[in-house]
Amino acid sequence: MSASAEPYLVIDNVLKRFGSGPEATVAVDHMSFDVKPGEFVSVIGPSGCGKSTLFNIIGGLLGDYEGEVRVGAERISGPHPSIGMVFQEESTFPWRSVIDNVAFPLELRGVPKAERHDRAHHFIDMVGLSGFAKHYPSQLSGGMKQRVSIARTLVSEPQILLMDEPFAALDEQTRLLLGDKILQIQQQLNQTTLLITHNLTEAVQLSDRIVVMTYRPGRLKRIVNIDLPRPRTSEVVGSDAFGHYVAEIWSDLREEASSGMMDAETTAARRNRPRG
Amino acid sequence: MAATGTVTARKAAWLDLDAVAAPSRAAVAGVRVAVACGIIGIWEALSASGLFFGDVVPSLAKIIPAMLGLLGQDVFWTNLQATAWETVAALAIGAVAGVACGITLGANEFLRKAYEPFLYYFSPTPRIILFPIMIMWFGIGIESKIALGALASFFPIALSTAAGMRGIERVLIRVGRSFRASGWQMATKIYLPAMRVPVLTGVRLGFGGGLITVLLAETKLSNKGLGYLVMQYYQRFDMATLYGLLIILFVLAGVSNALIGRWERAGR
Repeated sequence: MSASAEPYLVIDNVLKRFGSGPEATVAVDHMSFDVKPGEFVSVIGPSGCGKSTLFNIIGGLLGDYEGEVRVGAERISGPHPSIGMVFQEESTFPWRSVIDNVAFPLELRGVPKAERHDRAHHFIDMVGLSGFAKHYPSQLSGGMKQRVSIARTLVSEPQILLMDEPFAALDEQTRLLLGDKILQIQQQLNQTTLLITHNLTEAVQLSDRIVVMTYRPGRLKRIVNIDLPRPRTSEVVGSDAFGHYVAEIWSDLREEASSGMMDAETTAARRNRPRG
Repeated sequence: MAATGTVTARKAAWLDLDAVAAPSRAAVAGVRVAVACGIIGIWEALSASGLFFGDVVPSLAKIIPAMLGLLGQDVFWTNLQATAWETVAALAIGAVAGVACGITLGANEFLRKAYEPFLYYFSPTPRIILFPIMIMWFGIGIESKIALGALASFFPIALSTAAGMRGIERVLIRVGRSFRASGWQMATKIYLPAMRVPVLTGVRLGFGGGLITVLLAETKLSNKGLGYLVMQYYQRFDMATLYGLLIILFVLAGVSNALIGRWERAGR
């Protein structure tokens, strides 16, 4: 948004190898981009391009990488207090009610119960789950559980919200509506956000900028500015400009996705070779 | 014989895994009562038939008063106390050792591969065959029963804990790490609650195994406990009291099992 401000999060020449010697594969290859305060940036790429590896590096769950991920002046080498992660998998604690799930990060910090419930309630309302505070995750739908996870991360008031395909397991309609919710929240909190996704519409619907990655090894292909007006809603999906952006990014992505698909087919063919 | 237009899928009437309606509670309760009445009826018929020698199958009219009489005697309560203490001590030792062992095996792939086969192969061995050794080590008092019971409850608890440890959703651990939970917080707020159900399932099975083994050991060589008491009434050929005692044992085992089961399911 305020494009002139100092970036919060800098990804500087990040490289991640798995294995060593000649067997080593490069998952992320010299990626560089940044995220400025209040900005919503998406990283998009085909399955297997190293997006999730990047997510884990930025989240501090993969310490061993080359290059630098910086928050302010600090190089990330473990989970950083100013980064809040939302995972792709269903990650609510089934033994905790919604309110106790959301209050979890505050509980870790030793915030007294009354206060942490107060703050948790605020974020439960924000993600649209008022009235479900006492429910258990098993009583909620997939989309509701994912909103609980988002509220749980927001309650820790991270400077940067880092999400890895949080809606991947949901149907398209739920996904669009949750996108609206995310847009609303982002506006309300002026929340700096980095979203990892493989979903084109989702990326264009939500982002100020989109970082397109190549298929294996994951390199930076290009960065697209999305100049759609804000505040946005999911209705933006019907506009000409939206279609134009989707087409533009798809033409970049298509080549990468098809080489990914071919790769997967070769692997499958090799695996299914008759044994004897 | 003649085809009548509509075709209905046929299936056996009792085979209803995809049944739409839940079975009515009243019907289920009715069947249970009917089964109980049926068993009592057959029992009374056998008792009255004179097919069995003497008091081998005493009538309920004798068993019930004998049972109530037993509940009024100190000998029942002191022996119940002995068995209860043995079982609780056995379960406590077996649970602590089993959970510790299960966590270790669950957390480390190498240790699991190396040691879990031993657990699996030794687990179905009847513990009672080790009783002579336990008597030599711990004497004929309650210690040898506790040792044997602990051994019996250890295995299901260890195996179930190891499986529970491996069954923890990895993403929940990553959530804990991302919120920078300390080691202690990870253990108490993520690992333990995530493993609560499998561990309690193990405890329930371990309780059953421990109780069986303790009672069995008491019938063999001992001077107190309900198993010992069973053998006393058997040797005196006091069948009515013996059956009364067995009924009390059934009820006690059932109630304790149900209590642990409820604890297992609570909070879900």
